Amino acid sequence: MATLTEAATTRRSARPVRRRRVSAAPYLFVAPFILVFAAFSAYPILFALQLSFTNWHGAGALEIVGLANYQFLLTSPDFWQSMATSGALWLLVVPAQVLLALTIAVALRKARFRGLFSAALIAPFVTPLVAMAQVWIILFDKDFGAVNHGLTSLGLPAISWLTSGVWAKVTIALLVLWRTTGYAVILLMAGLSSIPSDVYEAARIDGAGAWHQFWSITVPLVTRTLSFVVVIGTLTVFQLFAEPYVVTGGGPFNETRTAGLYLYKHITNSDLGLGAANSMLLVVMVLALSIASIRLLRSREDS
Amino acid sequence: MKLASAGRYGLLTVAGIISLAPLLWMVASSFKPGAAIISSPFDFDPGQLTLANFRSMLETIPIGTGFQNTAIVVVVKGALTMIFCPMAGFAFAKYAFVGKRVLFATVLTTLMLPTLVLLIPLLLEMSQLGWVSTFKALILPGAIDAFGVFWMRQVIMAIPDELLDAARVDGANELRIFASIVIPVIRPGLAALGVLTFINIYNDFVWPVVAVNDEQHQTLQVMLAALAQNIRSGQLGADWTSVWGQLLAASTVAAIPVLIVFVVLQRHLIKGVMAGSLKG
Repeated sequence: MATLTEAATTRRSARPVRRRRVSAAPYLFVAPFILVFAAFSAYPILFALQLSFTNWHGAGALEIVGLANYQFLLTSPDFWQSMATSGALWLLVVPAQVLLALTIAVALRKARFRGLFSAALIAPFVTPLVAMAQVWIILFDKDFGAVNHGLTSLGLPAISWLTSGVWAKVTIALLVLWRTTGYAVILLMAGLSSIPSDVYEAARIDGAGAWHQFWSITVPLVTRTLSFVVVIGTLTVFQLFAEPYVVTGGGPFNETRTAGLYLYKHITNSDLGLGAANSMLLVVMVLALSIASIRLLRSREDS
Repeated sequence: MKLASAGRYGLLTVAGIISLAPLLWMVASSFKPGAAIISSPFDFDPGQLTLANFRSMLETIPIGTGFQNTAIVVVVKGALTMIFCPMAGFAFAKYAFVGKRVLFATVLTTLMLPTLVLLIPLLLEMSQLGWVSTFKALILPGAIDAFGVFWMRQVIMAIPDELLDAARVDGANELRIFASIVIPVIRPGLAALGVLTFINIYNDFVWPVVAVNDEQHQTLQVMLAALAQNIRSGQLGADWTSVWGQLLAASTVAAIPVLIVFVVLQRHLIKGVMAGSLKG
């Protein structure tokens, strides 16, 4: 009680003091961030929105073409192929990642040597993406790669990892899963550690088995973290650029040309108005997918 | 119970091995003769170890320039982030000022946007400013990022107001309070921010590949990707034994700095990632 009133009075007495003395301080503190944010985040986004209604190619005056860019993209097979490729990668990466990460995080929760395992799991996340993408080219080479080497020595058929459309997507999905699943595990560990252990104790006394505990306690209580993992995964997959750029160059036959690579093609073609419209469609797609996944996960929470 | 525990450690061990195997394979293979990488990818004969891959890689790409450019970007961009993110976070956490709520809501929204959206307009902005292929273009966009500000705000909010007020009563000015009270208190959070920032900037690829088109300003990652592209397009010839060895040597060299930082500071990184999960 005493501390409450004390806090209240200090706050009340502090306010006029702050107003007199401090007025400039918060503005100065926040100013460098605001400057950079306005110049290199807010302005470019608005500029992209404006550009998306023009047919600009990088020079000359801006000529408004209305919705023509959007119309072109939405009826372009290339655009839909890039979206479908990213969609396919999303299906290959996100559900598998959620399941894997949750299983590993639950196993890790009560394990010994937790620090050691966590370090091993997150190591792929810190390695330079481009370097690992190159290692992937070598590991997954059809004729000389270590992976096929391993498969054939087990008596299994060699796989055209990089030269068949479907397997090239799988190869890239494996790279994404390898690099980012450990990150998801650590995120989920944080979520799991916020569950009080007496919840499990109570369930055990009630005779709930391990599987039942997992589905009725663990999963609902980490829904927030799970949806965070899904959102990050969605952002990662739909922005995928370096992986296909280095591993497959978008090939074979544009089969791995993701939304991100397709966007880059507009830049190299100097179709900047079109590219800007493409960016906007990408935003809509990512937001819609993220919101849909969160809804889906949260509906479990209510039931 | 024993079975469950065996399953647990079995799973974790397999996951750990899968995580580390490609890395270890890369480092070990980069010291093998090119022909052996192809003919026997899983054999490691200590007697065969060689630096030949590294020597020929150094002749193919100016990797020293790449390192130097990346170092400049990491140091300057990292310093901007480490100084100004906590500063802005402090303002958002502990002061009332006009426009704070709108500003903060804007920051949160941009965290949800794919950064690829910025690629085209930023590139145009750079060309209007005459910054294409300069360090300014590599450093300023993306410095003091919104996530860092958001995160530092969360960390600083946990500092009791009384601590700051006591210093004010003692006559400390606001900058002094920031430097001598806030910064020391949030040091663990700052360390985690530092590790994540270092890794992000060091590994950044999309923006540098777009913003720079001369070799002189290429960062390490861009240089590596160019090497891979040259190989795919056949510019380095079809002698896989030499080309793969070079690729592995370059990748190993590029991975060493992050792996060192990682080994030394991995606990901060894990703490940092966990703190980041509060974002959801």
